[in-house]
Amino acid sequence: MMRFLKYLMAVMMLIPLSSLAQLDPVNLALMAYQKKDLAKAKELLDKSAADSTYGAQARTWYFRGYIYKDLYKEERGKKGGSELRDVSLTSFLKSLELDQKQEFTKDSKQSIRFLASTIYNDAALALDSNDFDQADQNYKRYKELTSITDPEMDFRARDVEFKLYMASKYSIVFDDSTKDTPESLSDRIIELYLDVLSIDSSNVSANYNLAIHYYNQGVQMIEGMDQEDDFEKLFETQELVLELFRKALPYMLKAYELEPNRKATLQGLTGIYYGLSNIEKTEEFKKKLELLENPDGNKEGNDSNE
Amino acid sequence: MSTLNTRAKFKSLFIYQFTKYTEWPEDYKQGEFVIGVVNDGDLADLLAVAAKSKKINSQSVIVKKINSTADVSKCHVLYIDGSSPGEVEPFVSKANDYNCLVITEGQGMIDGLSAINFVVVGNALKFEMNKQLFRDRGLIVSNSLENLATKVIN
Repeated sequence: MMRFLKYLMAVMMLIPLSSLAQLDPVNLALMAYQKKDLAKAKELLDKSAADSTYGAQARTWYFRGYIYKDLYKEERGKKGGSELRDVSLTSFLKSLELDQKQEFTKDSKQSIRFLASTIYNDAALALDSNDFDQADQNYKRYKELTSITDPEMDFRARDVEFKLYMASKYSIVFDDSTKDTPESLSDRIIELYLDVLSIDSSNVSANYNLAIHYYNQGVQMIEGMDQEDDFEKLFETQELVLELFRKALPYMLKAYELEPNRKATLQGLTGIYYGLSNIEKTEEFKKKLELLENPDGNKEGNDSNE
Repeated sequence: MSTLNTRAKFKSLFIYQFTKYTEWPEDYKQGEFVIGVVNDGDLADLLAVAAKSKKINSQSVIVKKINSTADVSKCHVLYIDGSSPGEVEPFVSKANDYNCLVITEGQGMIDGLSAINFVVVGNALKFEMNKQLFRDRGLIVSNSLENLATKVIN
């Protein structure tokens, strides 16, 4: 921004109006920008970028990126807005590539950071509307761009945040669907939670939600069963369901280890152990849950023992 | 997290299966097919949901929740939830007046109380059966059911 304004001021102050015709198209574009004629500025910079002389200069691409960024801000959220952002980004990236003197590098990176943040926001918006492919694409693009501006960036926290959100949105689709839910959807949810756990094995949400997903998958299988199904099918399904409950257990236990006083986790363990017909453990966690829900009741009990 | 009572759901599926392998006396083949459930509201509810759309041996199914021995009346199946034989026995005594398939879950129940008893084997719900108690109640059980049981008392 600073570089852009300084350059604009220089162009305005040093060049008499009569010499305008002599100006190179990049400077003319800046003049147009000064007059708030973004369309003209864009046209001149597009031509400059395509020109063998001006197209080899970092400033051409930097200003083009800048103008397109402004155009994008105006059209943000509208049809074609993201195309303007793409051109802006391509231009800033080209400017970085050509800017041997590092004249525009700092400002270009700053603009790329801003645009990358809008792409990240778009990824979240895409998730809100269950457009998972678009969300994935946007998130990858955000990371690509941020890696250029900030090569030392540690993405782990962002990865965790994004993947948890994506998994939760997938889970809503999964839980709302019928027994015909494609297996790939479930696999994707599991993959996302496992990705999070590979980054942070102590992430409570990932442990808890993965356990719940396995559990709900089992329940969905049971719900899909019918009284007409024969014993063979019944035994077969029961084994598959138990396998899912067994998979759920270690993750729910980990979530419990991390947050022993979380009601949802105690409910989860009660449900899983019950599903596994481990009545002793079911009762153990049911008591813990009751204690948590009614601590006064327990206190009274203790008092009476004293 | 789903709130379905998973064990109750499996039991309801098993119970429907048991009825397919059992034959009741002629006078039980008419009218409604009655399933009584003692002390297990979730199971009774699940059986009742299934009863809305499924028949057993061409008979409409009704499910009765039973809270005391006084409520035990003529039924085709009686599931009794009780942790000890002492808890189950009064209901069994009352059911002995009828051609009723008694089903339980618990250790020692199969030795003289119920014709079918649910057991847990490696987390899985399975069942054992007492053929003598089928005979005593005038019920004919298919041989193929015993092939699926974990233990059979003749």
